[in-house]
Amino acid sequence: MKKKFLATALVLAMALTLFAGCGKSAPAEPAGTSSAGTSSAGNEPAPAAAHADEINIGIAQDLDDSLDPHYAVAAGTKEIMFNVFEGLVKPTPEGNLMPAVASDYTVSEDGLTYDFILRDGIKFHNGDEVEMEDVLYSIERNMGSDGNEALIPALEAIKDMKADGSKLTITLDEPVPELLNYLTLAILPADYDKQDTAPVGTGPYKFVSRVAQDNIVMERFDDYWGEPAKIGKVTFHVVEKIESMLLGLQGGSIDLCMHLTSTQTAQLSDGFNIEEGSMNLVQALYLNNAVAPFDNVLVRQALSYGIDKQGIIDLAFDGFGIPLGTSMFPSFAKYYDDSLTDYYPYDPAKAKELLKEAGFPDGFSMEITVPSNYQPHVDAAQVIVEQLKEIGVTAKINPIEWESWLNDVYGNRQFQSTITGLTSDNMTARKLLERFRSDMPNNFTNYNNADYDELAKAAIVSTNDEEQTALYRQMEKNLTENAANVYIQDMADLVAVRKGLSGLTFYPLYVLDVSTLYWAE
Amino acid sequence: MKYTAKKIVLMLVTMILVSFLTYTAFELVSGDPAQAMLGTEATPARLAALREELGLNRPFLIRYFSWLGGLFTGNLGVSFSYKLPVWQLIAPKIEVTLWLCLISFILITVISLPLGIWSYRRSGKIWDFMHTAFNQLCMAIPPFFIGILLSWGFGIVLRVFTPGNLPDLHAHFFDAIRYLFFAAVCLAIPRSAMTVRMMRSTVIGEMEQAYVRTAISRGNDRRAVLTRHVLKNSLVPVVTFLGQTMAELIGGSIVVEQVFGIPGLGRFLVASISNRDYPVVQAIVVILAFWVVLTGTAADLVNQRIDPRLRLEGKR
Repeated sequence: MKKKFLATALVLAMALTLFAGCGKSAPAEPAGTSSAGTSSAGNEPAPAAAHADEINIGIAQDLDDSLDPHYAVAAGTKEIMFNVFEGLVKPTPEGNLMPAVASDYTVSEDGLTYDFILRDGIKFHNGDEVEMEDVLYSIERNMGSDGNEALIPALEAIKDMKADGSKLTITLDEPVPELLNYLTLAILPADYDKQDTAPVGTGPYKFVSRVAQDNIVMERFDDYWGEPAKIGKVTFHVVEKIESMLLGLQGGSIDLCMHLTSTQTAQLSDGFNIEEGSMNLVQALYLNNAVAPFDNVLVRQALSYGIDKQGIIDLAFDGFGIPLGTSMFPSFAKYYDDSLTDYYPYDPAKAKELLKEAGFPDGFSMEITVPSNYQPHVDAAQVIVEQLKEIGVTAKINPIEWESWLNDVYGNRQFQSTITGLTSDNMTARKLLERFRSDMPNNFTNYNNADYDELAKAAIVSTNDEEQTALYRQMEKNLTENAANVYIQDMADLVAVRKGLSGLTFYPLYVLDVSTLYWAE
Repeated sequence: MKYTAKKIVLMLVTMILVSFLTYTAFELVSGDPAQAMLGTEATPARLAALREELGLNRPFLIRYFSWLGGLFTGNLGVSFSYKLPVWQLIAPKIEVTLWLCLISFILITVISLPLGIWSYRRSGKIWDFMHTAFNQLCMAIPPFFIGILLSWGFGIVLRVFTPGNLPDLHAHFFDAIRYLFFAAVCLAIPRSAMTVRMMRSTVIGEMEQAYVRTAISRGNDRRAVLTRHVLKNSLVPVVTFLGQTMAELIGGSIVVEQVFGIPGLGRFLVASISNRDYPVVQAIVVILAFWVVLTGTAADLVNQRIDPRLRLEGKR
């Protein structure tokens, strides 16, 4: 009986293999050993070497967004489309700005007049030369000149733009020290209306195609004004399941994948280099400062003492991550104040004392709302729940969908506490800090501090860079002292890079620059 | 004729009902498409402008009926997320998913029908035990897990295909089919196990019938009775079951498509639901409803061929 069973199983297995082989004449050699490169069935070339002029990048989220850079909002979309678009100036890996569509620029002493020289002969991906008209159109589109709300409110300070030959003069009502950062906005052709599905820019790569929930293809732009990209063709594969992503990396269909965790990279074979950057975001337990008990500063401080951020990083992130103490991360070196990181050292006894003083000698119960599709936030929440037990606080995790999170927590502020990561899409402190001003529409934590509001207003209108930086630093300190939120970390960004592939460059922004990547040999 | 008309009406009613229910469901769940699209950049003014643009300001019923009107004139609308016509987005996905389900269905039929009969003929205590155990195992392993095993074994160790890279269906048809074959296997295993079990128990039940005893007592060969009479009678419930299988394969394909990175309908449906991309979700849901009714009808028709009694009932 048993023999027959075995025989049948074998026959079945053979039948399956036959089926598998029937596609091509060459049958699947049961090579047994996993020596990479012997692709016996031969429908795909061996990884690396073979596609020297091509690269396959795995991304976990589709670009299911408008591809129009002025309207795109998803961080994942901006991250990838960084390769397609450029502004008058563009960010460098060091966190500075360099001329791009403009070949040169000068700023007047009083900070009210900006002169840009349009780069000579620079072309769009469709072959047209960039005209001054395109530049004006692109900037005006973000100023709200079309009657809609300004896409970039800071640009409302522009009083006048005058074009004279290849020179553009922008005059302001009042100085905006970070104006240049906003002029990284993409320059687009003026008379083109398919930007949201077939975008055209001036970047080192041109957009070729997008297949929903499948892939995005880009090719090198041969008429690029600057150093041309080294790899000719880039395909971004959308792989939402991490298990499939790892299989894709191992199997050779993906050469590079960003945003992995240490547990995930540990599963990869030695065919990969793991490069470590940081996500440039502020992961924190954000507290709704308007609801009890978090309207009490003592309670917020107690939580700050009662949560051990290094413990979270060690337990849930294998030690990768930079602990933070305020709404700023180290990549923005100019604004970052490291002394705030340990303002509240882990001290459960102190936490209990503060709770007692606040009128909660027996602790209290709270709810942590977490977007359930972001595993790092869920993991951090789980550690926090355990840590808070020490100080008598019973926390419950409420996992919700990201879209519900946006609606309920971010939009309607219906929450007690939540874990998320806040980030900045340009290199100014404003984006990260202004949101805690009491009258900001995106102040979802309802932080309300008169001093902070004053500082914020002063910082925004400050004409002096040094003074402005100092004000931003004071704002950070204010957030820490008042324990606006319980700050956790800037998460590590682990990137799996196939061996042989070099040139990965980290930016202080959430972008992936493909143009610097190249295959060695 | 009357039968066909009845089926078509049933199909239409089902599709409209299902589409209405999904529309309502979306109305009830939290999460607004405009908010989902703008994310953390949303400001009240931008939200309002986008809602206006997407037509979300109109009352629920008006929105539904204008969508329904579009459906009957062949206009499925434009995707909120991708800003492209819905049909253009889903047509290639339908093709991929249909191939996947078709291969899987063929596998189920080819494997489970002979295996069902064969397993009936091998009865005995130990064999029964082994059979049940193996069967349970096949039904219990989640397709997700089998998918990972297959991808690892055939994709990474044997390199029969490259996980995560489905070749183009038109340019490299056979390569694509080979890729889909493994996904289809993983979709077929649990369902085959169920079909085998079903086949076996119907044959056993049928063999205990009086007519079988009579036939055998009149000197007929057991085997001949089995093939000539019993099989035909046992097929009716099995065909009905296979019809359901055909419908359920699409549901199962969601997971398998994710594991194998196949850009199919199921995966697209899940993504569109979480993006609150109503036009896409509605279109896919209607197509699925159509599919379910269609496969049910197909099973009915096949059954009528097998069993004349059903034909009479259909005419009444």
